[in-house]
Amino acid sequence: MGTVGKVTGIGTPVRRKGIKGFLRRTWPLHVMLLPAVVLQFIFGYLPLGGLVIAFKDYKPYDGIWGSKWVGLDHFKFMFEYPDSKQVILNTTLIAGLKIIFNIVVPFCFALLLNEVRRNSVKRTVQTLVYLPYFISWVFLGGILNDMLSTDGIINMLLHNWFGLDPILFLGSGNWFRFIVVLTDVWQQFGFGTIVYLAALAGVNPSLYEAAEVDGANRWRQTLSITIPSLAPIVIVVGTLAIGNIMNAGFDQIFNLYNPLVYDKGDIIDTFVYRTGILNGQYSFGTAVGIFKSIVGFVLIVIGYRVAYKLADYKIF
Amino acid sequence: MQLKRVSSVLLVSALAFSVTACSGNGNNAQNEPAATKAAAESTNAGGNASATNAAGNVDETGWDGSKYVEPITLTTVKGIGTNYFFKNGETMENNVMQSYMKDNLGIDVKYDWIVTDTNDAYKTKLRLMLSSGEKMPDVITYRGDMETVNMLIDSGQFMDIGDLFDKYAGDNYKKGVELNAYTWLPVTRDGQRMALPVLDYAYNDDMLLWLRQDWMDKLGLQPPKTLADFEAIMDAFVNKDPDGNGKKDTLGIATGFKNTFLGWMGDISWLFGDYGTLPGQWNKSADGTLTYGSIDPGAKQALATLKTWMDKGYISKDSGLKDENGAAELFTKGQAGALVGRNWMPDWPFGDLLNNVPGAKYKGYPLPAGPDGKIGAQSGNPSVNGWMLINKDAKNPEALLRYYNFFFDNWANPEKGSEFENGFAEGYDWAKLPDGTITKDPQKYPDLFPDYADRTHLVEPIYYTLTFEGARQPSLYADTMSKLANGEAPVTPYEIQSAAIRKPENIEAMKIVLEQKDIRMKNYFQGPLTETMKQKNELLNKLINQTYSKIIYGQSPIDEFDTMVDNWKKSGGDQITKEVNDWYNSASSK
Repeated sequence: MGTVGKVTGIGTPVRRKGIKGFLRRTWPLHVMLLPAVVLQFIFGYLPLGGLVIAFKDYKPYDGIWGSKWVGLDHFKFMFEYPDSKQVILNTTLIAGLKIIFNIVVPFCFALLLNEVRRNSVKRTVQTLVYLPYFISWVFLGGILNDMLSTDGIINMLLHNWFGLDPILFLGSGNWFRFIVVLTDVWQQFGFGTIVYLAALAGVNPSLYEAAEVDGANRWRQTLSITIPSLAPIVIVVGTLAIGNIMNAGFDQIFNLYNPLVYDKGDIIDTFVYRTGILNGQYSFGTAVGIFKSIVGFVLIVIGYRVAYKLADYKIF
Repeated sequence: MQLKRVSSVLLVSALAFSVTACSGNGNNAQNEPAATKAAAESTNAGGNASATNAAGNVDETGWDGSKYVEPITLTTVKGIGTNYFFKNGETMENNVMQSYMKDNLGIDVKYDWIVTDTNDAYKTKLRLMLSSGEKMPDVITYRGDMETVNMLIDSGQFMDIGDLFDKYAGDNYKKGVELNAYTWLPVTRDGQRMALPVLDYAYNDDMLLWLRQDWMDKLGLQPPKTLADFEAIMDAFVNKDPDGNGKKDTLGIATGFKNTFLGWMGDISWLFGDYGTLPGQWNKSADGTLTYGSIDPGAKQALATLKTWMDKGYISKDSGLKDENGAAELFTKGQAGALVGRNWMPDWPFGDLLNNVPGAKYKGYPLPAGPDGKIGAQSGNPSVNGWMLINKDAKNPEALLRYYNFFFDNWANPEKGSEFENGFAEGYDWAKLPDGTITKDPQKYPDLFPDYADRTHLVEPIYYTLTFEGARQPSLYADTMSKLANGEAPVTPYEIQSAAIRKPENIEAMKIVLEQKDIRMKNYFQGPLTETMKQKNELLNKLINQTYSKIIYGQSPIDEFDTMVDNWKKSGGDQITKEVNDWYNSASSK
C-alpha cells in the first residue's frame, strides 16, 4: 500500500516545475476524473453521515439530528437478542459454504472446459452456464418453490425413479441449507468460470510446449503449469470473497425461506429486514449493518495479510 | 440489495393497493341513490327544510344553512393519486369541483402544495413538513399508514375534533361512524378524538367459505353446518376423486400460512375462531381485558386439528410454504375444493378457476361452527379508509364537516332525478345521448365529452374532493347486495348499477356475510406500536410462526405449544399485554 506514491509515472519530472506546472500539464485528466469523484462523494461518502443513527434512537418525526443519542444501546441489544447467535451462525455457515464452493466449482469447471478442443462447443457451454447469473431471485424463487414442492417435478422424478416419498425440500432445515448453497453455486459458477478462463488464456503457451518436449502428459501439465498459474487469481477472488462472510444472500433466502426453516435458514439480512424495515427499527438495522461491514473489513484485511505472508502475493 | 428490499416492499404495497383498488373500483364511480329509500327521503326533507329556514338564519360561523354567505377559505395540501384525470385546461386548483364548492357552499379550497403521489411522495412531503416545523394548513387528509397519522397527531398542531363532530356532523356521517363502535379508537388520545374518519364501504373484507359446487353436487354432499360436517366434506374431496381423473391428487381446503395465520385470502384463522380465538390479533377476554389470540388455549386445539388435516391430506403438504396468493392458486387451479375468503372473490381470482377448469362452479357458504358451537372470523375493514386532521388555528374548522355533509346528503346515495343522479357533472363523468340514455364512454362519444386530454379514462371530478371520493355510506354496499340477493328489483341508480356489474355468486356471498356478521371478532388493539412491540415483535412473531408450523408438520409435539406460551410471556409478551391494555383503557375511557 505504501508503494502507491512511487509508482505514478507523471510525478517525478513534475516535482521540479512545482504544482502549477503540474496542473497546467495535467488539468484535462483532472477534469475527466471530476464527475466520478463528485458522484462517489455524493453517493458513496455523504450518506455515511446517516450511519450516525446507529447511535441514536432515530424517529422520522424528530429527524436525524433531533433524535436522542443512545450510545451503543443498539449494538448491545443486538448481542443480547436471543436469536442473534443462531442467526450469525446460520449466516457464516451458509456464506462460508457458498464462498468455498463458488471457488472450487468454477475452478474445476474452467479446467475441464479449457480441455475442450472445439471452440464452438466451448463458447456455447460458457454462455449457457453464465445465463442463470442474470435471472433475479424473485423469479428463481418462484420457479424453485414450484419445482421443489411436494408435487413438483423433482419429487415426481424421485418417486418415479427411486420410489421415494415426497421430500419437503424447503420445509426442513438441512435440506434448506443444501438447496440454498446448491442453487447459489448453480447461479454463480458461470461468472467465476469466465474469470478463470480469462486467466487461463493468459498462460504463456511456450510453457506447455516446453513441458511437452520434456514428455509431460496432459495431467502433469495441469498440475505443474495450469494450477500454479491460476493460484494468484484464486487468492484474489478468495480474499475478496472473505469480506462477504456476513452476506449469505438476502434475495435468495428471502424468496425461499418460511417459518419451518427459521432455525436453520434465518440469516442476518432477513432478520434485519423483519426488525428494521417491517417494525420500523431503523437505528437497529443500521447498527447491524455497521457490525457486518466492520467484520467484513477486518476479515478482508486479515485475508490480505495472510495472502501476502503465505503466497507473497500483493493484491492492492 | 438495499434497493431490492425497498422495491419488494414497494411492490407489495403496490399490489395491496391494486387489490383494494379492484375491490373499490366496482363500487365507486356511481351515483347511487338511497339504499333505504325512506332514509334518503327524510334526509332530503331535512335538507329542504333547512334551506327554506335559511334565509334569515345565518349562524355565528356565517353559514346560512346551505352555504357560507361570505365565502371562506380552507387551506390544505394534496397528493394527486393515479386515479385523478383532468380535462384540458383544468388543474387541481382550478376545476369544476373547485368552482362548484365555491359557488354553492362558499368554501374555497386553497392548496399550500400539490404533489403527484407516486412512490409515497405525499407521505414523504408530509413527514418533511413535520420534521422541518412548517406551518400546517387548515386541513390535512391522509390515507395510508397509521404511523404517519400518529406522527401528525403527536405534532400537537391539530385540534380535538370531538365537539366539532358532535355539533356539525350530519346524520348520515354520524350513522356511518356509529356502525362500528370502535371507529375512534386509533385516533383517541386521553379521551380526545384527534382526527375525523373518512368512511368506506363496510363488510367488504369479511370472510366466508367458498366451496366447489360442482364437486359437492357430484358427490352428493350437503352444506356444512359444523366443523365435523366440513371435515366429512373434505374427506370426500380428498378420497372420492371429485375431479374424476382417477388420481388421488385433490385437496380439502386451500390455505397457506407462510407469512401469517391471519391471512386475507385462503385464510385459516376461522378454524381458530371455531375454538374461540383468533391468532395474530388482540381479542377481548371474558373479564374485559385484551389478550393475544395466538397464545390462547383455543389455539392449541386448532393446531391439533390442523395437524390431523395435514396428516390426512386435507391441506397441501406445502401449505407452510405458501402465502395468500399461493394458497388461492391451489383453489383456482382446481386442486382444492374449499377456500375461505372475501365476498368479491368471484371478480378476482375465481376467473382463473373458470379458465383452468371449464365447467367449474363455486358457491359461498357460511363458516361452519366448532365443536362447542363456537364460531368466529376476522372482522376485516373497520369501514375507515383515511383520516382528516384540522389545524388548531383554523378560522373555520367546521367547514370541513359541512363539506363532507354535503356529499353524504347529496352524493353518497342520490335519489333518482336528483342533481348527481348520473355523476358529478355532465360532459365530465357522464353525458346524455340524444335518445336520453346515459353514457360514460368518452372514447365513443368525443363530442359529448369535450376537452378530454386522455379519452381512455373517464374524468371523475369526485376524486378532486378533500374527502377522496365525495362520501361513501359504509352500509350501502352490503345493504344493496343483500337486497338484490333477496330478489328485490333494483330501484336507485346505485342498485341498478350493482345489479348490472356484480356476479350472482358475489351478491349471494355478501348476503351470507351479513347474515353471519355476529361471528366477527375484532382486533381491539388499534393504537401505535408500543415500545416493547417495536423491540420484541419480530422475536415473538418468529417464535409463534415457527412453533405453529412445526406443530402442524409434526416436527414438534403439540405440547411444544405450552413451552411457546411460556417463552412468549417471558420474552416481552407479558409486558406487551400490559401496554396494550393500558392503551385500551386510556383510549376507551372518554
